[in-house]
Amino acid sequence: MTGALYAAAGSDPALLVEVAREFSPRIEVCGPREITLDLSGLARLFGDARAIAAELRRTAADRGLQVRIAIAGSRTPARLLVRHRAGVTVVEPGSEAEALAPLPLALLTDLCGRGSAEPVGHGSDLVVRGRGSLDPPHRTAPTRGAGSSDPADGEVNELTATLRRWGLRTLGDLTALPPADVAARLGQAGVQWQRLARGEDPAPLVPAVPEERFEQALDLEWPIEGLEPLSFVLGRLLEPMSAHLERRDRGAAVLHVRLHLVSKTTHERSLQLPAPLRDARTLRTLALLDLESHPPAAAINRVVVAVDPTPARVLQYSLITRPLPSPEQVSTLMARLTALMGEGRCGSPAAVDSWRPGAFAMAPFAPQAESLPALPRRERAAPPALPASAAPQATVVVALRRFRHVVPARVQVEHGRPVRVTTDRRGLGGGRIEKCGGPWRTSGEWWKADAFGVGEAGRAGEAGRSENNTPWDRDEWDVTVSDGATYRLFRERDANAWFIDGVLD
Amino acid sequence: MANSALAALESALRDRKLDRTLTTALPPLEQGEDDCAPTGVAVLDGCLRTGVPRGQLSELTGPRSSGRTTLLLQMMAAASSRGELVALVDTFDRLDVASAEAAGADFTRVLWIRGQSLSAASGDTVYSRDGLLKVGRGGGPVEWAVDRALKALTLVLQAGGFGFVAIDLADAPGTALRRLPFTTWLRVQRAVEGRDTACVLVTPEPLARSAGGLTLTLAGQTVWTGSRERPRVGGADVHLRVVSPRRRVGGEVRVMARAAEATADHRSFSVGG
Repeated sequence: MTGALYAAAGSDPALLVEVAREFSPRIEVCGPREITLDLSGLARLFGDARAIAAELRRTAADRGLQVRIAIAGSRTPARLLVRHRAGVTVVEPGSEAEALAPLPLALLTDLCGRGSAEPVGHGSDLVVRGRGSLDPPHRTAPTRGAGSSDPADGEVNELTATLRRWGLRTLGDLTALPPADVAARLGQAGVQWQRLARGEDPAPLVPAVPEERFEQALDLEWPIEGLEPLSFVLGRLLEPMSAHLERRDRGAAVLHVRLHLVSKTTHERSLQLPAPLRDARTLRTLALLDLESHPPAAAINRVVVAVDPTPARVLQYSLITRPLPSPEQVSTLMARLTALMGEGRCGSPAAVDSWRPGAFAMAPFAPQAESLPALPRRERAAPPALPASAAPQATVVVALRRFRHVVPARVQVEHGRPVRVTTDRRGLGGGRIEKCGGPWRTSGEWWKADAFGVGEAGRAGEAGRSENNTPWDRDEWDVTVSDGATYRLFRERDANAWFIDGVLD
Repeated sequence: MANSALAALESALRDRKLDRTLTTALPPLEQGEDDCAPTGVAVLDGCLRTGVPRGQLSELTGPRSSGRTTLLLQMMAAASSRGELVALVDTFDRLDVASAEAAGADFTRVLWIRGQSLSAASGDTVYSRDGLLKVGRGGGPVEWAVDRALKALTLVLQAGGFGFVAIDLADAPGTALRRLPFTTWLRVQRAVEGRDTACVLVTPEPLARSAGGLTLTLAGQTVWTGSRERPRVGGADVHLRVVSPRRRVGGEVRVMARAAEATADHRSFSVGG
């Protein structure tokens, strides 16, 4: 026995789900206003189908919902009837075809076009989440008939027009046609419509499984201080959670750690994970490393960990591409390195679209397996050793070692060219300039000069080149000094100050 | 003067075959097809037979402007273009991203670990972004930066999965490096041993090498081009000396590096020129 609930316009979908769940754990959300539910076995509790329908209606009314109710032997008659008749409709098992016969054909159009005759959980635009909330789905396919441009809608409209031209008006008219002739003229779509008109279900009810809340909490007998005792507590909380996630084939997208402190405050941290994870040790390590960087201000009374679940990863290993470290390994390594070196000091370098000397950006280090090329075919024989006097290569490019904090220098200038450079930086040799090239003038961001003192252009480099947008105006020189080292110098034109920018190495 | 005396001494040691270490006495390593990471420089790869050995600690040494960074970036670019993951522990935050890009590195596969960039120094005092720090004889920001870089290197090696890992200690003072306990390098060697990772140490002078690793000693000079009135850097002439007793490779190689195209184009016109 299956029932269908159809709520009045403007009803809260969450309330409708709540009402349905009070009667049956096997419910299927067919849309924001429609739910089908498996009522098998309820007769022993409430009595016959009419009593069940009355109880359903009373419960909905208690929640402030106005609903239509239809109860039939299967889903399709219940859904068709609930859309057509107000109030309560009960069809005795076996008499569905008779009950459906007088219904208008437009109901099929409505069901197939907007609601979908397919198992509804797949096509519905809502899925049930934890605690009865309804959220937009992440994986469900777009609802059929959501827009008039949907080709499926076009097919439905065409079929409806054909049936109307044939003079058919009700479901009974359609079921009266010989199935073989319908199949010959209308194809599979016509056959499916005829089955629906007879009240046959195209697929069984697919119950919506509510997303569970993945949360663990522990009240501590004595407040704890420090991360070492906390690691044991986290381990105790995360291991059952990890098992729970595994049972549900879920991974953690975000890990929340909430610490209730003795100072009556809450210290909350949320970690965005690069990939769905559920390994308890990895999650514990990541949480601890994060708390190491952001420790709580007082001792801890209560520990709560929760995760935002997401479908688990599906991995396909390959013999062709080089294996990469797993996201667990990469995220643990990055967390450890960040804890050691500081925030924003680990990642992948990225070039930026700027003429500023030394401009760069940091991007998260997230190697993708898809981008990796196939392993190269190796030559069977090792390449022969070349003589030392082999021809020099032309593809190697000279690199610059750049001082992220430019080094102030004293430069002696004669006839407009530097002839001697010295600096107070220990280890940096200076001396007589034997060869020099330049000057090459470069400037930029001068249109932002009003935001900063003009003389700060050179020193802006000291604050980190990637993040500043201060103006610069400089003359650059490459110089080779007497000890053989080649430096890149620049003169800040506004302040007439010299700096060493880097070493060609 | 000192340099010429040192060169003469090294030459004399080479002639008498006294420049090798005790590892010479060990049997040569069997070299497989997969146990080396090509450097991307054909001449050097030819000399090394395949490249830098994996699972070993090798070193790249030389004075300033000798081509250490050039060769390092070339190795990184070659490894990343093969699809391997590359990690660079940049002890003093010296990487020029434009140079790495010019070398052809695929940044999506490069993990850059930036150490502390020390600012202008005056006497014994070093200013960092965090404030005033003292460089004492026993320890200070430099030693601290080196220590953290070594810890980061150990973390990367222990994590595994990287094909090429380098630590740039080229600007670390010799005193700070010599103060490190020798067990430091033994630990690094143990961490890299048996892995599919080629580990390279960039230092101003030879410091540490696995028994099966190699030492590349660089000496180079800048090549100037252009007219006499308007000279510009055209590249670098780099001489490499390869020492790897257990791999039966060695010799000297000359590599000519050119200036980056963007730099050369940009600098075709100087002010007033």
